[in-house]
Amino acid sequence: MVLLFAFSVGIEGFFSIDNYINIIYHSVFIGILAIAETYVLISGNLDLSIESVAACSAIMSVWLCSTSQYASGLLLQTWIGFLAIVAIGVSVGFFNAFFVVKLKINAFLVTLSSYIFVRAIAIWITGGYGMSGLPESFRFIDKTKFLDIPLMVFLMFILYIFFEFVLKRSRFGRHIYILGGNENAARNFGINTNKLLYKVFVLSGVVSAFAGWLMAARANGAVASMGRNYLFEALTAVVIGGVSLTGGEGSLIGVFAGALILSSIHSALNITAMSPFITNAIQGFLIIIAVSLDSLKRMFK
Amino acid sequence: MSVDGKRILLKVEKISKYFGSVTALQDVSFPVYENEIVGLVGDNGAGKSTLIKILSGNFLPDSGNIYFNGQSIKFNDPLDARKVGIETVYQDLSICDNLDASSNLFIGREIYKKVFGLGVLNIAEMKKRTQKILSDVGIKIPSVDEKVQYLSGGQRQAISLGRFLAWGEKLILLDEPTAALGVRETRKVLDLIKRTKEERKEASIILISHNLQQIFEIVDRIVVLRHGQVIGIRKKIETNTDEIVSLITGAIFVNQDKGNK
Repeated sequence: MVLLFAFSVGIEGFFSIDNYINIIYHSVFIGILAIAETYVLISGNLDLSIESVAACSAIMSVWLCSTSQYASGLLLQTWIGFLAIVAIGVSVGFFNAFFVVKLKINAFLVTLSSYIFVRAIAIWITGGYGMSGLPESFRFIDKTKFLDIPLMVFLMFILYIFFEFVLKRSRFGRHIYILGGNENAARNFGINTNKLLYKVFVLSGVVSAFAGWLMAARANGAVASMGRNYLFEALTAVVIGGVSLTGGEGSLIGVFAGALILSSIHSALNITAMSPFITNAIQGFLIIIAVSLDSLKRMFK
Repeated sequence: MSVDGKRILLKVEKISKYFGSVTALQDVSFPVYENEIVGLVGDNGAGKSTLIKILSGNFLPDSGNIYFNGQSIKFNDPLDARKVGIETVYQDLSICDNLDASSNLFIGREIYKKVFGLGVLNIAEMKKRTQKILSDVGIKIPSVDEKVQYLSGGQRQAISLGRFLAWGEKLILLDEPTAALGVRETRKVLDLIKRTKEERKEASIILISHNLQQIFEIVDRIVVLRHGQVIGIRKKIETNTDEIVSLITGAIFVNQDKGNK
């Protein structure tokens, strides 16, 4: 992982601080969604619904708060919109966990279902129109700058530090690693694994919904196709960041690097005006390189 | 009704457990006295592990009672059993390969310190205690920071045994603790079990093993299970390997209460 990061720094060496800030600024959504996915993966599960929860939360918050003719016309206060998207995150997380815990359905299938229907419900309610015209209080989170650095950049750092700390230093975080490492051991030593899974999925839902809310703030509106492919971008960041798909392994420090590497590639190719298809090709190869390096490291240990 | 006038710590009374149409345990009864080691023997599928899992809170029995310290108890989950001082060393060791020795030792018993009113894992303290516990077990581990994945079978077993040494206050359940070990490590584990009995006058141990030589070396009484039933209970000093083998294989069928008087 360190190697990959060094490799990326080597390529982007000519970049200025401003460009680095820009890279972070553009990795915020993927980065935050990657936090949600990291928690779920470490617990030994998978959440495909993060992208749809983000999209749903973006669309619904705009629908509730914007002045667009296609919006609800409720013109709700920003903070009420915010509470609404938290509720969306909690509900979808609860839904996912319920079927995983109670009916013992594989998380892949449960969250594939919510991946499909969560976005669809938001489009159905709002009619699928593009909406814009958010109040200043909503856009504040995107427009504010400290020392010429966008607030969202600070936010990303704060979230990563906070969630890394929770993962490594709290009982909740430790239990997630135990659950992902050996579910039987977790049960044998009295950890309530069901309750823990509810917490993990709800956390994933809320964090994803928050990412969606930020997306709406930056776009000053929402469209039906918002955040398409973010799921795979986030998964790529997580996997490049060294999180194991089988659970129990990984840290947010690695994932942060993963998110930045992805964003750097986009940015480098934008600057050199190369075809966007190259970006995808590189991204694809990057996954196999990262995973192979990890696998080789294990073999030689 | 007691061995050398000792108090009964655990009384299992007519425990039955069914898995679908399969009878895993039927009317199993036996006592465990304070500060004794009971060997639980029987062929594969005789119900030994099922019985251990009932006592450790992993399964609820379908019928029957368990009395612990004279009180009727019902364990809904392993935490209930741990709370009254029952510690189990599972056959599969219940170890997380992805974590280091100290994290493994403290699963479900993490130590905290308060930081701004929030419980934060006290990793330094857990590591310190891990060093102490593992040196008591007597099996060396290169580093407590290393992931358990890279440790040998004996070293992994040491972690598992460290748990009972640290927390097995009243009753220690050992499900084949030497199955994966070499000769020297097996010796150490047996010594550890004997030492624990001597040092903890309050504690009793139930040991499952297929190795009758081991059983005869360290236990006080032997409970023989066959097809889910208690087929015989014997004091070690009043029986021999041949009789126990006959009981296990079903070559003899005699009254059950001989060693229980």
